[in-house]
Amino acid sequence: MSGGAGCGNGDEVKHLEAWPRVEREQLAVCHFCDALHEAPAVEEGAAVICSNCGSSLYRNQHASLDRAVAFGMAALLLMVVAQGFPFISLSANGMVSGMTLTGASLSLAREGSHLLAAGVAFCTMIAPSALAAGLVYVCLPLRWGKAWPGARGVALWLYRLEPWAMVEVFFLGVVVSLLKLVKLADVSIGVAFWALGAVMFCLAAAIAGIDRRELWDRLEVALQK
Amino acid sequence: MKGLEAKPPWPGSAAAAGLAFCHVCDRVAPVAEGHCPRCGAHLHTRKKESIQRTMALLVASMIAYVPANMMPIMVVEQLGGGTEANTIIGGVITFWEMHAYPVAITIFVASVIIPILKMIALLWLCAAAGGWVRIDGRRLTRIYWLTEVVGRWSMVDVFVVAVMVTLIQLGNLMVIHPGPAALAFAGVVVLTMLAAMSFEPRLLWDRAKAGRKQLRKAREGEE
Repeated sequence: MSGGAGCGNGDEVKHLEAWPRVEREQLAVCHFCDALHEAPAVEEGAAVICSNCGSSLYRNQHASLDRAVAFGMAALLLMVVAQGFPFISLSANGMVSGMTLTGASLSLAREGSHLLAAGVAFCTMIAPSALAAGLVYVCLPLRWGKAWPGARGVALWLYRLEPWAMVEVFFLGVVVSLLKLVKLADVSIGVAFWALGAVMFCLAAAIAGIDRRELWDRLEVALQK
Repeated sequence: MKGLEAKPPWPGSAAAAGLAFCHVCDRVAPVAEGHCPRCGAHLHTRKKESIQRTMALLVASMIAYVPANMMPIMVVEQLGGGTEANTIIGGVITFWEMHAYPVAITIFVASVIIPILKMIALLWLCAAAGGWVRIDGRRLTRIYWLTEVVGRWSMVDVFVVAVMVTLIQLGNLMVIHPGPAALAFAGVVVLTMLAAMSFEPRLLWDRAKAGRKQLRKAREGEE
């Protein structure tokens, strides 16, 4: 076993600071090829990649906690907006029908497809909201080196939830439906449509903003206090 | 990128050192401890019975793919007229004929191409991990990464059904109901996602290393 991880430095490094860790000497294992590396603490802007297969091991991003918290909060607020307003309305022959995010799942349930309705609700509302809320709950106190009760459990579930939050896929679905309906009726796009597009962006930015290794290293330090 | 310039020596596997990384928090710990000392998640060197589980989920998804394509995904009921049942492929053809090419192509890619490619890719990965196919570790690692990232986009068609059902229900001209294929197709997407998650990419590298070792032994034997 030997340290063979390569470091790529960012061009402009303002704060040459590594995140706090409990153990100075750490190891990293490549998730893809199982190569064992030493895991050096790296400054902001640097990434560590596996010398064997080239996949990314971890990276230290600029203002990671701030980004996770800011984008997470923005995603939550916009989610409320997306819930409260219709995102498409349709008018044909004097009839107007609008659609909200909850409406999409409810109408499936009304049609008797309860399982499908539950799945759609989970992927478009529950998982993304929980993901954003969880990220904020863990990362916000970490900015001051603290951890709120249950932070460990929240963080544990955060990454299991991630693949099932499908806001961006749903957004594409809405766009496809719009293109379908344009031929049939007058379609107007509502506030929630743009809100949902912004949720999509914020959620992705929040998750991508912090490396899970950094989150857990910081959390470990906070929990020891 | 220092690490990429020259092919460095194999640094040794974590498994050989009795170590494993935690799937949740990325900490490296001895497998013998059973649970991650930091976050408490289960630790394992290799995902348990990865090939069998992946194959089982894959076969289930293939079975679900049959009704997903044979049965209607949306039933359009014209009030005063008849009803029309649309399959996934039928919908693609209709939109193609209506010259709505972006819609036709999006649905075709998300509902037909991606699931089929994903099934083939997972089958291939399982075959490679089981030693039935020769492999190039780096390329297969990339294929695995792609199946994990792209798979979720297949869900698009299910969401389209949800939106259409909601919007057209209140109109007085027609009503749209979700067809049985919608649930079947959602099942296909979820099952292939679970199959990709239960696959163990490290098996590919174990295989590659074992192959190299065997080759070395054979050469030494000849000499």
